[in-house]
Amino acid sequence: MIKFLKLYEKIGIFILIVAASVFLAIVSPNFRNLNTILSIIMQGSYGAIIAFGMTFAITSGGFDLSVEAIMGFTSVIIAMLIPSLGFAGSIIIAILASCFVGFLNGVLITKVGISPLITTLSMQVILRGASLIITNGRQVVISQKSFMSIGASKVFNLIPTPIIYMVVLFAIFYLILNQTSFGRHVAASGSNEQAAKMSGLNVNLIKTVVYILVAFSASIVGVIRTSQTLIGIPTMAPGFTLNVLTIAILGGTSLAGGKGNLTGTLFAGIFISMIYYGLNLLNVQIFYQMLAVGITLLFALFIDGLRMKYLETAKVKGIRV
Amino acid sequence: MKRYLRISVFAILILALVVTFAIAGCKTGTATAKGTTAKTMKAADVTIGYSVWTMEFTFFQNLEKGVKDACKAFGFKYSMLDQKSDATQMVQDMNTLVNQKVSGIVSTPVDPGAMAPAVQKARDAGIPVVCADIGKSGPVNALIISNNFNGGQLAAEFLAKLYPDKSTTFGLGNLKPQWTYARQRGEGFKAKCDELGYTVKSEIIVQNPSAEGGYDTMQQIMSAASDIKGAFFTSGREAVGAANYIKSQNGEQKVVGYNGDPEEFNAIKDGILAATVLQQPYVIGYKAVETLKEILVDGKSYENVEIPAEVKLVTPENLEQVAKEIMDSTGNSAYGAPATTTTTK
Amino acid sequence: MDDIKVGLTPKQRAGNLLGSFGLIAILLIIFGFFSLLIPKLYFTWPNLRDMIRFSSYVGIGAIGMTFCIMTGNFDISVGSMLALAGVLGASVALKAGGIFGVIITMAAATLLGVINGLFVTKLKIPAFITTLGMYFIFRALAYIYTNNNPQYIQDRFWIFLGNGSFLGIPLPIYIMALCYVIAYLMLRKAPFGRYILAIGTNSRAAALSGINVDNIKILVFTLIGVFVGVSAVLNGSMLGAANPGMMGDGYEFQVITAVVLGGTALTGGSGSLGGTLIAAMVIVFLKTGMSNAQVNSYWQQVATGLVLIVAVSLNKLKFWLIGQTQ
Repeated sequence: MIKFLKLYEKIGIFILIVAASVFLAIVSPNFRNLNTILSIIMQGSYGAIIAFGMTFAITSGGFDLSVEAIMGFTSVIIAMLIPSLGFAGSIIIAILASCFVGFLNGVLITKVGISPLITTLSMQVILRGASLIITNGRQVVISQKSFMSIGASKVFNLIPTPIIYMVVLFAIFYLILNQTSFGRHVAASGSNEQAAKMSGLNVNLIKTVVYILVAFSASIVGVIRTSQTLIGIPTMAPGFTLNVLTIAILGGTSLAGGKGNLTGTLFAGIFISMIYYGLNLLNVQIFYQMLAVGITLLFALFIDGLRMKYLETAKVKGIRV
Repeated sequence: MKRYLRISVFAILILALVVTFAIAGCKTGTATAKGTTAKTMKAADVTIGYSVWTMEFTFFQNLEKGVKDACKAFGFKYSMLDQKSDATQMVQDMNTLVNQKVSGIVSTPVDPGAMAPAVQKARDAGIPVVCADIGKSGPVNALIISNNFNGGQLAAEFLAKLYPDKSTTFGLGNLKPQWTYARQRGEGFKAKCDELGYTVKSEIIVQNPSAEGGYDTMQQIMSAASDIKGAFFTSGREAVGAANYIKSQNGEQKVVGYNGDPEEFNAIKDGILAATVLQQPYVIGYKAVETLKEILVDGKSYENVEIPAEVKLVTPENLEQVAKEIMDSTGNSAYGAPATTTTTK
Repeated sequence: MDDIKVGLTPKQRAGNLLGSFGLIAILLIIFGFFSLLIPKLYFTWPNLRDMIRFSSYVGIGAIGMTFCIMTGNFDISVGSMLALAGVLGASVALKAGGIFGVIITMAAATLLGVINGLFVTKLKIPAFITTLGMYFIFRALAYIYTNNNPQYIQDRFWIFLGNGSFLGIPLPIYIMALCYVIAYLMLRKAPFGRYILAIGTNSRAAALSGINVDNIKILVFTLIGVFVGVSAVLNGSMLGAANPGMMGDGYEFQVITAVVLGGTALTGGSGSLGGTLIAAMVIVFLKTGMSNAQVNSYWQQVATGLVLIVAVSLNKLKFWLIGQTQ
């Protein structure tokens, strides 16, 4: 039982995915199709990639509400710079600019001491306004059609590129969080900031880097989405931030900080996409989709609570956990 | 101690302000009560207050330009407030305009059902209210609105003409449920398809009202019904995103949009988007001010009048001409009538 | 503690002063600035009256949230709660009259608050996650219940509540004042106030000292429901309709912003109701001022964000001056 519960912590959300897949495959033949499955994963990748960064932020004891504005910011910078700088130049500058925004978030949170909520909420409003000012409120059409290949082509004529990006970023973030001392330090600052400071960690620096990582992941998605639509969109993805938070939490990352579960985040991203995509294909109205997301969230966390309670009683009874 | 001090200081400040204003307010309060009788004004004395849904969408920017240009043409003063897509802000803005004592109000309401008490207040203060597009509630003088249903029908007719074979199926990317007025476009499309004997095989709501949301929805529609030949998206930005998805898959499907935003014109020019249904936000805004002018300056009476605004289909054939017309009438260079594909600024 | 004034350094004195009057000063600066800039549009009684009237929308909802954040919790479901309670009440008002509509709105919001509280305490799901789930669920239920049709509020009594006035002052201002007085008494004069501060400071210690933490938490979430209910009644009245998709959209972050700007620490254990009220007014005063001054709406967003950051930094400056860590 204990072994199972340990395993469940890692792949609990995966069980939900399997259950949902079986259900969808039975009710609709559309799901027994490789293209559909890949499309679902592809649409899950956008949320998942940003949720990787968000997982770091939550692990460090904060969160970031400015991600949707960072996507739009990246998008307009690319669109404005592409005519003069070309693909590589504009993408690099856009990502660097976004990382700078993350840096600002980090400095405001650590040095000035404003709570992550207010900092990133304000940054979201400021950045949205700034993106609109840059383009004068317009959507900026990108005329270089080949830019599309970045986010809208397929590798081996089969796998959409966003999935590749997701896998690569997952590997990188996973290694950083679980295999490097930096990752351990992030978790340490999240679980007990005071103790981390006492033991000589530069918590401020660690947290600043975390917010840069969030901004980085958001700007990557900004690049992908800009490339797909060939438009610089200052108001990109309204309301997407809550979606990202939902993914990170559903993935099993504890809001108390100190414990990040990137594998869970990856699967949660795909699962949320399955709900929306799947129910859309079954012609279920959008209201019921929202209901499904809400109930899943509560159910998954309820089960998780039961699991922790069981483990705790086991610990009290003296069973080695 | 400190807390009581703080509270009492604040209370005194508020009290002082209230008393000052109550005294000042008594005088002005009686003055406005008389002004409710219908009488004409001189153009130079007229101030038009405009409350816009949001300045983040191209459609509303063009609408605002129409209102502003009309005010300039008639010699009116002009004041603009932005609801920022928030229904409570919309009501607050309407109150602010009444407090500013503007002569007439134009509103493009984010939640047309939720403006009745605010409109009543404006009318009680003797200020006429004209809605520019979307919808209305309460004692509005006039509403200038695009024929959304008809626009959807035009899109269906266009696709039907392309594919004479009645067994052809189409997809529909509809708008979020809270925008009931605009969902008329989808209703019109479905009704016409029905009438002509075609089937709408998949209808999916664009969850994320932005170009990349259209991209995602098109992907879903293609999974649900891979054999469709065309799709109608009920808003412009989404349609461009959807068309770009088809292009990335090297698909043959034709996508039709709605609005006639500059980015749609660009996409039609590039052969990505098949057509769009052009609304005329500039004309709607201009007409709204024209209506207020008739009420305020000419002394005409409008009560609960609905003035339809024309919609028309833009295809590659008439694209250049329509763009030129828009350029001539509005001076909006974003449509890029001369063949330039540079970015818009 | 207030009486020990002796031995304060000038720096600490400045900090205390900033703590007491910082936010009030910001409010007065904003009001003064726009009054000088556009006196005819801004410095008028009707404008001031309506600005305070509209502060009630966020101001009243923020009372419950202040309690909640003081206990170290969060509620992100308030916007959806507002919508669900609003459409329920409005649909009843259509059939049974406005008084019943108002009662149902209040009752529904209170019940939803109780549900949140039960989920948080009995099922042990963290408050943030419970209310994030409810954020989706309440909104979905509002859509499903109305089948996405706006529920119009035409009842004269209900419309009067949000739009009428007594002695020249709009009713929502009286209602807001009453809510704040009640909340203040609860927080400062009843044991309840001590309990929630104790829970916010250290939940475990509070439980050990004999406080029934679960019951207090349920009460806090119930109070959020009550005050959101009042807000829903007034909002429905001002709007004349309850639209399942539009009502309370983005309300949760407006409310949380007001509470945090008002000086309540997100970590729990301390807070100020007066600060919340003034913060709610600061936001409305600033937005109205910028709109009236015809500031470009994109710059308005930038300015709002910057003012928020500056105002909250002032709060940090206070702690720095007094010389205590947060």
